[in-house]
Amino acid sequence: MAVHGFSMTDRARCGGGGCGVSGMNRVILRSEVREWLDRVGSADLLVGIPSYNNAGTIGHVVRAVQAGLAKYFPRYRAVLVNSDGGSEDGTRQVAEQAAVDDFSQLLVRQRVPALLKTATLYRGAPGKGSAFRTVFEIADALRVKACAVVDSDLRSITPEWVELLLKPVLDEGFDYVAPLYLRHKYDGTITNSIIYPLTRALYGRRVRQPIGGDFGFSGRLSRHFLKQDVWETDVARYGVDIWMTTTAIAGSFDVCQSFLGAKIHDAKDPAADLSAMLSQVVSAAFDLMEAYQEVWTSVSGSMQVPTFGFRYAVGLEPVEVNVERMLERYVLGARDLADIWRRFLPGRIMEWLADSCRVPCREFRLPDELWVEIIYRLAVARRNRILPSEHLLKSLTPLYLGKIASFVLETRDSSAPEVEERIERLCCQFETMKPLLVSLWEQREEVWDGNTQETVA
Amino acid sequence: MGILRKLLLDPLDRCVDNLLLFLPNVLTAIAVLLVGAVLALLIKALGARFFRAVGVDRLARRAGLDLLLDRSGIRDAASVVAAKFIGGLTLAVFAVFAVQTINVPAVERLLERFFLYLPDVFAALVILLVGYLMSNFLSRAALIGAVNAGMGVSRLIGRSVKYLVIVLSVTMALEQLGIGSGTVVIAFSIVFSGIVLAFAIAFGLGGRDAARCFLEKKLKGSERDDNMNHL
Repeated sequence: MAVHGFSMTDRARCGGGGCGVSGMNRVILRSEVREWLDRVGSADLLVGIPSYNNAGTIGHVVRAVQAGLAKYFPRYRAVLVNSDGGSEDGTRQVAEQAAVDDFSQLLVRQRVPALLKTATLYRGAPGKGSAFRTVFEIADALRVKACAVVDSDLRSITPEWVELLLKPVLDEGFDYVAPLYLRHKYDGTITNSIIYPLTRALYGRRVRQPIGGDFGFSGRLSRHFLKQDVWETDVARYGVDIWMTTTAIAGSFDVCQSFLGAKIHDAKDPAADLSAMLSQVVSAAFDLMEAYQEVWTSVSGSMQVPTFGFRYAVGLEPVEVNVERMLERYVLGARDLADIWRRFLPGRIMEWLADSCRVPCREFRLPDELWVEIIYRLAVARRNRILPSEHLLKSLTPLYLGKIASFVLETRDSSAPEVEERIERLCCQFETMKPLLVSLWEQREEVWDGNTQETVA
Repeated sequence: MGILRKLLLDPLDRCVDNLLLFLPNVLTAIAVLLVGAVLALLIKALGARFFRAVGVDRLARRAGLDLLLDRSGIRDAASVVAAKFIGGLTLAVFAVFAVQTINVPAVERLLERFFLYLPDVFAALVILLVGYLMSNFLSRAALIGAVNAGMGVSRLIGRSVKYLVIVLSVTMALEQLGIGSGTVVIAFSIVFSGIVLAFAIAFGLGGRDAARCFLEKKLKGSERDDNMNHL
């Protein structure tokens, strides 16, 4: 997702140096990149790696991509672009120097052409979105057929990821390939409890990891992304993953997903603020709800998207969870944030939340229908601007922790398929209750009149 | 007869003459006041619609001004209050014009002083309004931040921020009005310094352990008791 590893400062923006002009957009490419593009001329494939201080891992990612291109696409002209946010740890140098030494170890016997590579500072607001924009610009300039973007902090990427992200575009004619990872049952809880069920209920496509971070897409879709007028908005800073997935689905592009195995990446900054992270991701999803309301209000139910790749099980790193602490935060929120929640939640939910604080920890459960209604009402409240967006979204954190604590308590002894089934039930609840969202959305402001009225579900 | 005329009839004549000179001014003043009243009523009626249409009620609700009105016992919507205020202001302006047409020097001097003071009153009102809005915004932000950081005293933190901003804005407003300017600033400085000192003593002596724990967490980084990746 866009958030990890991307707290870039203005230093990350393009310093001196002239810049060239892109064909369809404002200037964002540096002059040395334009010169490089002139030398390269054109290419079939492009793999982009956004980075910021990832010197420790980017070498492995570059080698995996190079091996993947050599092994699976030897006859294609491919380029690798490292779009960097002004790293101070030599990330760009590592990316430029990293290379596979011995292709025979990878059982690649044919002659391998030298990988065309560039590492550049991107321009624009600091964030993964701006890094991607540079990748899209280069893809457009080289008129590539297929692109992929992979995170620079990956430890589990293999050459097969390149095949799985590019082949569905090249051989099967898909426009967008979302990743499908094997994750621990308590990994990716924002995705599992909000983003996946919400995206699925809204747009009717079951893309399991809409904010996975590693994607494949066609040159056509890349140009479509580039044309969108979002590069001065929050999409440039964070939320580019959900934006890409939603734009692809809402734009009726052919979407599929590829099973990539386990996703293991560098440990996050321990001080990373959950509240800010949650608020950014949810805010991005809600922004898209406003942008695509014409699309999602007419969608009901959902359908599978084609899935590629050979599914297998792997041992996953254990995830430690402190349920008591989560519930402490939930109870604190229910006590102190009730006045804020009351602005968008009806009385019966407020009563339930107050009562739930007296339930013993082990017996605590936050029912799906309640959770779905909270998310839907929050989305409408944000659209109606009843409070500053940041306040509304950050007030969700204790409720989210309550939901995750409930989920953990429910699934403590469950296997991975059982947990997936549990998430499926939550998704169905999101779909079942979608008419409530549509009716609240269409009522606009009359509902939100200080004393929140009960609304028929 | 001559004495009677000198003592009674001449003053009476002068009075009638003065009255005849003064009466047109009074009538003009009444006319101006009537025009003002009609205009004020029109502005009140149309203004309420206009403010509602441009979303003043929504903005007021978002800024928490509706709560302020509610607490003040005002049941009208913010759009109506704004329209009433502008209507009242219009009436006041016409009333001033009306008084000026009467041509009484003492009243004119009083009005002059009043008008010179008016900008300060407006500035003070704006300071108070902005202070109230800021206090709501900042206290809510502090409350949410404290809850999300797991602080048990989050409500106290939120309220403290609110009252601090309100006290600061009242001080600035009084300063603007020139009411005990030096005294107010000095009093504020003393109270504020006292609060800071009280916190410092409470935290440093009463809560030495808590302070140590807090600083350790800040310097060494808090120990994570879970390693969930929420994304």
